[in-house]
Amino acid sequence: MNRRAKTVHLEGVAKQALETGRNRLLLAGCLVALAFVAVGARVIELSAFRDHNEPTTSNTTADAALQTGRADIVDRNGLLLATSLRTPSLYADPTEVLDAEEAAATLAQVLTGLAPAEIVANLRAKRRFVWLKRSLTPREQHAVNRLGIPGLYFMDEWKRVYPQGALTAHAVGFTDADDRGIAGIEKSFDDALRGGQEPLRLALDLRVQHIVRDEVARQIEAFEAIGGTGVVLDVRTGETVAMVSLPDFDPNVAGRMEPDARFNRATLGVYEMGSTFKIFNTAMALDAGTTTLRDGYDATDPIRVARFTINDFHAKRRWLSVPEIFMYSSNIGSVKMAMDVGTERQRAFMGKIGFLTLTALELPELGQPMVPSPWRPINTMTIAFGHGLAISPMHLASGVATVVNGGIRRPVTLLAADVPAAGARVLKASTSKDMRRLMRLVVENGTGRKASAEGYLVGGKTGTAEKSGGRGGYKRKALLSSFVAAFPMHAPRYVVLVMVDEPKGQKHSQGYATGGWVAAPAVKRIVERAAPLLGVAPVDPKSPEIRRELMIEMPGIGGKRLASF
Amino acid sequence: MRRSTILWFLVAACLGVALFLVKYEVQSREEQLAELHRDILENQEALHVLEAEWSYLNRPDRLESLVRRHLDLVPMDKRRVGQLEQLPMRLPMPVPGPDTDPMVTIEAIALAPRPSIAALSTPPLPVGRPLWLPIRVIKRVTE
Repeated sequence: MNRRAKTVHLEGVAKQALETGRNRLLLAGCLVALAFVAVGARVIELSAFRDHNEPTTSNTTADAALQTGRADIVDRNGLLLATSLRTPSLYADPTEVLDAEEAAATLAQVLTGLAPAEIVANLRAKRRFVWLKRSLTPREQHAVNRLGIPGLYFMDEWKRVYPQGALTAHAVGFTDADDRGIAGIEKSFDDALRGGQEPLRLALDLRVQHIVRDEVARQIEAFEAIGGTGVVLDVRTGETVAMVSLPDFDPNVAGRMEPDARFNRATLGVYEMGSTFKIFNTAMALDAGTTTLRDGYDATDPIRVARFTINDFHAKRRWLSVPEIFMYSSNIGSVKMAMDVGTERQRAFMGKIGFLTLTALELPELGQPMVPSPWRPINTMTIAFGHGLAISPMHLASGVATVVNGGIRRPVTLLAADVPAAGARVLKASTSKDMRRLMRLVVENGTGRKASAEGYLVGGKTGTAEKSGGRGGYKRKALLSSFVAAFPMHAPRYVVLVMVDEPKGQKHSQGYATGGWVAAPAVKRIVERAAPLLGVAPVDPKSPEIRRELMIEMPGIGGKRLASF
Repeated sequence: MRRSTILWFLVAACLGVALFLVKYEVQSREEQLAELHRDILENQEALHVLEAEWSYLNRPDRLESLVRRHLDLVPMDKRRVGQLEQLPMRLPMPVPGPDTDPMVTIEAIALAPRPSIAALSTPPLPVGRPLWLPIRVIKRVTE
């Protein structure tokens, strides 16, 4: 019993130890089980709930795509106008350069356009980073590498390149050394170009652009002019198919251009346009109903107002019908026509057609029209023949597009528009039709005969303005000769404007430097060369449908006659 | 008991080896992928440079001077554009008789003056083409 009790005692102690051990084991087991449950739950969560199921494809970057610094700019057919290329730029860490003078001497031999003194100054600068030359050619990079000068490094940079050179310089613009747009489309779409990868498609057609530039340059040379501009607009959409301003510059070396070359005559320059304004004057009078194609005005005597005398260049000294006033570009008749409409209505009309505000073109270089203030009756008289209200050539082209397209004004644009923007009606459709006939008449029988491109039914209006001089007067010898046309006149598709700045009369033009002699031949050649590219088919001007469309009745002095078709 | 232990041990070893192999396979494939991406980028950049060069070489003024120098092309004028209705009715097929020599007509076509810029003031007359040409003769003419 004693032994047994001892045993029991012993058993008791052992049992207690066993109990403790078991409890601890149980606790540890529970903890481990809990940990496993946690791990299991996490596994289930990850596999079943986080991604719903096993990813079927890897999550690495989908496809390698080239990230250029700026998006490309292309013309309407997708030809490159501006693109970015990776070029190495040379920089130095002056603290690592051992012998600045020797390094400068050898570098100047390899890199053209860098003066040794300048390099030495750069290499002695108390900085850790100086640019030596941006955008090296591969050959230059190789040469610099071969020199093996310590402390010189290359850094890849995106450089803007304009493969077309000067051809689209004013429209596309250019960027500075740090790839920020500072002119043209490059500036106005800077953010979109910098962020995007999709090329920006412009409305320009490179082929037409080339033709226009070629022809304007030819006239500038032939008439010793100081500059010129040419614009081609799509009448139906307001797209700018070509926009040229001469002299121009090479945007690839924009730093070296002259200030005059940067000036965009097509959009930034505002000029008193002269007789081409009679298009709007006549359209305004016809639309207001103050006159019709059968009426006319007495243009026998010059008009004298205050100190001005308004006279005719091609004076006829007789009663002129409205078509004759337009055809012979009579200032006297136009003034009387405008006076009948009145100052207030003229101002409202000029506002409606967009001549008092900036054009909608997407360029930073836009010229604000110079509007007379206050608008007196004398202004009404001078604006009738295109003086006293200065607008940019782009305004003029857009206004003519409005007049010939049935009277609907659409904002001009440099971007390719697949759907034309909504327009606002400015003129009655019948007025537009009358104006088309009148413009055709000018080319058929009037001052614009040299613009007649056979088969394309060109219609237009000449303009020869004297440029305003310093003290509110006009310079007799400094002319602005222009011709604005549309074709084909029975269903206009394109407006062509050519303006030459300060042409001088030449022997081959019998001393004349007027719009009819200077700008009209250029328009003719532009139409002849560009129309097949633009998809305008030549027509037979003698076909009955076209005769009916463009026929005009001329109440002349010798009774009625049919003058044009 | 012992057998199942060995079995489990083997399974674990196999799984370990398999995991090891898969891991290295994935690594090498990822390297391959990265290399392909690098190649693609390189090619895209080369393409980009070539595109720029192509459009530089296709400048309209350069093309114009090249055409002037090397080709007989002239600007298209309206006489060369027509409509389907202007075409005359089609002539009946000439049947080559035994006495007509096809070479005579074909040589006349080949020797006909080609339009040039100087001759543009007078429109070139439409050249009559026979509607039927024996292949053998065409070969001889082109030779």
